[in-house]
Amino acid sequence: MSVPTYPSGTVRALLATPHVSEATRTAVQARLDAPAYPPQFLAPETYALLEAVAARLFPQPDRPEQPIPLAPAVDQRLTEGRADGWRYDALPPDREAYRLGLGGIQEIAQAQFQTDFTALSAEQQDTVLQALAAATPPGKTWETLDAGRFFEEMLAELTETYYAHPLAQEEIGYVGMADLPAWTKIGLNEREEREPA
Amino acid sequence: MPDEEVLEEGVLNPVKPEIQDPLLQALLADEPAAAPVAVDTPQEQPQAIEPEADEVDCVVIGLGAGGAPLLARLAMAGLKVVALEAGPWHTPEKDFATDEKAQDFLFWNDERLAAGHNPLAMGKNNSGTGVGGSTLHYTAYTPRPLPDDLHIRRDFGQGEDWPVSYEELAPYYEEVEQFIGVSGPTPYPWGPARRKGYPLAPLPLNSAAQLMVRGAEKMGIRTSPAANAALSARYYQEGVGWREACTNRGFCQAGCSNGAKSSMDVTFIPLAVKHGADIRPNSFVTEIERDARGYVTGVVYTQNGEQKRQRCRHLFLCGGSVETPRLLMLNELALTSGQVGRNLMAHPGLQVWGTFAEEVRPNKGIPGGLISQDTHRPAGADFVGGYLLQSIGVMPVTFAGQVARGRKLWGQPLRDYMRQYNHIAGINILGDCLPHADNFMELAEEKDARGLPKPRLHFTAQENEQRMNAHAEKIMRGIWEAAGATDIWAFQRYAHVIGTARMGLSGDDAVVDANGRAFDVPNLYISDNSTFPSALSVNPALTIMALSLRTADKFLESQQRRDVLRKPTP
Repeated sequence: MSVPTYPSGTVRALLATPHVSEATRTAVQARLDAPAYPPQFLAPETYALLEAVAARLFPQPDRPEQPIPLAPAVDQRLTEGRADGWRYDALPPDREAYRLGLGGIQEIAQAQFQTDFTALSAEQQDTVLQALAAATPPGKTWETLDAGRFFEEMLAELTETYYAHPLAQEEIGYVGMADLPAWTKIGLNEREEREPA
Repeated sequence: MPDEEVLEEGVLNPVKPEIQDPLLQALLADEPAAAPVAVDTPQEQPQAIEPEADEVDCVVIGLGAGGAPLLARLAMAGLKVVALEAGPWHTPEKDFATDEKAQDFLFWNDERLAAGHNPLAMGKNNSGTGVGGSTLHYTAYTPRPLPDDLHIRRDFGQGEDWPVSYEELAPYYEEVEQFIGVSGPTPYPWGPARRKGYPLAPLPLNSAAQLMVRGAEKMGIRTSPAANAALSARYYQEGVGWREACTNRGFCQAGCSNGAKSSMDVTFIPLAVKHGADIRPNSFVTEIERDARGYVTGVVYTQNGEQKRQRCRHLFLCGGSVETPRLLMLNELALTSGQVGRNLMAHPGLQVWGTFAEEVRPNKGIPGGLISQDTHRPAGADFVGGYLLQSIGVMPVTFAGQVARGRKLWGQPLRDYMRQYNHIAGINILGDCLPHADNFMELAEEKDARGLPKPRLHFTAQENEQRMNAHAEKIMRGIWEAAGATDIWAFQRYAHVIGTARMGLSGDDAVVDANGRAFDVPNLYISDNSTFPSALSVNPALTIMALSLRTADKFLESQQRRDVLRKPTP
């Protein structure tokens, strides 16, 4: 089937209505209003590398001025030492895994193009990431760091960060946050008036 | 059928106190004058309080499906009970957002290490914290097991049988269903006839459930609206008052904000409080103290940074299949069977997703609206046991994470696929799992933020689980094709950690008896999914609650026997 498109502004319009609870509004609005984030855990060049990787895993040509920021959530979590309840035993602790893994991406870029990842073209960067995703990239890092698991963990974290953002939720036509007082039309092809078509 | 007469006190207890007569033992254990045992923990000794002054009848560790029901039962029997829960006590109407990320606090987020060929995702996949435990984020899917679920060894020669029969559990299932308010079909299409139907009609079917009806009909598979512990109508709850009906938010796995889902915090816990239970949130237990005879005398816990001690005559450990064995291992308690941490099982929870031309909007409605147990013992199957089929709704962030992990999509293809979110529906299975020597929990060298060793869980799906997955994937793909899905894909996952402190007939190969009482430690009981001898082919929460009530009743019976002979205290 063709990919559906939804009008812009749906979530933002609903946030001001009584369909959204106070706790929900606070959580969602905070993401819309997030101020510029200076990295605290990763070194500036490593953080820039993470941003460059995130820009290929989630290319946002439709938001050239203000892409949904993905690197801050990772850096903030690593700063605070928060976990999500588990980690692959095959990987080192998250801070070390990100440091090593991002260094390893640099290594792949050097091996394939003799250039830093951030200096590559978008197509070349994708080639680097494809090698990582395929789990057998070149580089010394990957002799000890499980490439497939690292890529999976990083991609999952960036993906969950992206789709937690209200603009990404507008993009997929999701307005589940506007659940007050109730959903009554829940069957096939049933749509509440406040849900976008 | 074995019962407590077989499990005579003392006979199977490897601690072997000098006095063998069980009644006399019990009397001595409860006689305050006979227990002036020195406990060597000078630094936490409360200064102003006499050692025995703050002793309570029972301490319950953990307030999920294992701890809350028995807490209420013990409080109603007039016992002095204290509950220690590691997490906070929430006010869902005010605190719970309809936002997956914001609800992260519901999950047990201390890191566990996932090892083996099928590492188990923990955290939001299966582990909760807070007053209510994992029921704060369970989907409320509460089918009963079918009777032969408890006899997998009898029927297949593999796995383990339960020392408790379905017939013995049935009255407890009924009690839980009636008390917490389970919505479901009456009569229930599978299993033996029931004395009472569900107290509430089934919840309305969402899109995924309607699609599964359509596909399954064409395949000749029977379906039914499922049993869910969420209210399809207002319901009167003792200790709470009227609870409101479900508003179809579809956010069960991220916390129910209106009290319609029957989590412990709106059912058994208010009942326990009404009857005088002392609930202490944010209380993380680190030590279980014993006397020279090996009896538990109390616990040490940290509450809001302060270390405290609570003395008790009986301890109920209800921390779930990871924290329960971890506490036992850290305290070198009840380990003589060699089974603590072993027999780790996880339900095959394979999901199949598809894209439909119709609008699905999978975030709405009770997620598991529909069930089929036609695959409980499929004809001609090449595996032991069986599974149930379930339609599933899904929240966007959870779904996107699974797409990333399972489909390995990234870049524009991932964004394009996710734009079809409103047209996507899923079905999954919940299947039995056999214990295997390679699957176990241990303490790792690596320490967590509290300075305690992290649990490491080894899990590798064995041939039986793999065959079951293959069987189920074929059937689910068939259903989805028949329902009109395109772009069908399967996501292999495992849910619910089970079996790490199993119950059995003998202390030689089990940690607790059929009543939940530890073979090694006469005043220690375990009540959670760690005691399950087999995984069952249904979600565990209802059985955990039923067993919890039964454990409380068996404990109270044993207390009454003693009360008859006990000298009245002034």
